[in-house]
Amino acid sequence: MLIRRKAIEIVAKSLDSKDIAVSANGFISRDLHEVHDRKSNFYMIGSMGLASSIGLGLALKKPSKRIYVFDGDGNILMNLGSLVTIGSEKPKNLVHVVFDNSSHESTGGQPTNSASVKIDELAKASNYRVFKTYTKVKLEQILKKIKSQRGPILLLVKVERNKYVSKRIEIEPTLIKTRFMKAVSS
Amino acid sequence: MKEEIQRKVFDYLSKNGIENFVGVPDSTLKYFVDQGLKKKTVMIATREEEAIGIATGMSLSKSPSLVFMQNAGFANSLSTITSLVELYQIPLIFLIGWRGYLKNDAPEHAKIGAIQSKLIDALGLESQILADRNWKKSCNWALSKIRSKKFCVLVIRREFVD
Repeated sequence: MLIRRKAIEIVAKSLDSKDIAVSANGFISRDLHEVHDRKSNFYMIGSMGLASSIGLGLALKKPSKRIYVFDGDGNILMNLGSLVTIGSEKPKNLVHVVFDNSSHESTGGQPTNSASVKIDELAKASNYRVFKTYTKVKLEQILKKIKSQRGPILLLVKVERNKYVSKRIEIEPTLIKTRFMKAVSS
Repeated sequence: MKEEIQRKVFDYLSKNGIENFVGVPDSTLKYFVDQGLKKKTVMIATREEEAIGIATGMSLSKSPSLVFMQNAGFANSLSTITSLVELYQIPLIFLIGWRGYLKNDAPEHAKIGAIQSKLIDALGLESQILADRNWKKSCNWALSKIRSKKFCVLVIRREFVD
């Protein structure tokens, strides 16, 4: 099984230069920043649960770009209604990646309930096209395949917990925003 | 607020650059939301925080947005306002229905109605009351905030009990 940081690196490095990324708060944003910082990454450092909603807003307004949401199980479980709204709006250009370690790793590894309720089945019921993996080889295959597929896509990546902690993002939030808006406006 | 004025408010904001109206319905804002539903420019979210998230994504795409909600939903949204909208300085108009404005409103509206103005102040949000007589002036104020990339609050008082 992959660790989260490695899985995030594989997904991030599969993105084309024009693709947009939005990442969930906690270790997911920290990892993304550390492994593949880009101006077109929107690091959501607060407002837990809302990365997929921000991604939806971007996807609807930027139909010619692909939006990748880097989400976690704890994050999506906090905003399950987002699956329903995304499944109703059906943005073709939205790829919702959930890195699932069945825990709130950023706060000390407390359990989430994604071990007993299947997030991929919830997404399927919400009109997503769903992929699931826990290996590097299959993850790379899926990432290639989905480039030509219509969204909304949910990619559930089961990951292991690991002691490595990426450093905090030191870019000012307003700078994260302004450089992001500039990078995605072209 | 009268039905006719609520519809005018929607049309006026829409004509003057607000492209997205995302939120959770309130009977206080019924005709405003209905006007948007008719024109298919309203998106109903499952919760207010989600609505703010979606509108933030739209705003990051340079598409001016308004989020509408009851004051119950405003209370739900406090952390989203502080750790997303204020932290990143996201331009948005919040339109909030002031439930519990009347003393004889339903009991579940009483407490939030009593503290709503204090909460808005505590968050450091600039706000104006949107009423039948001054609606255009308040709309212009909110539009000027959005144009200067700021967020602000418009409040509609619930002046009926059903």
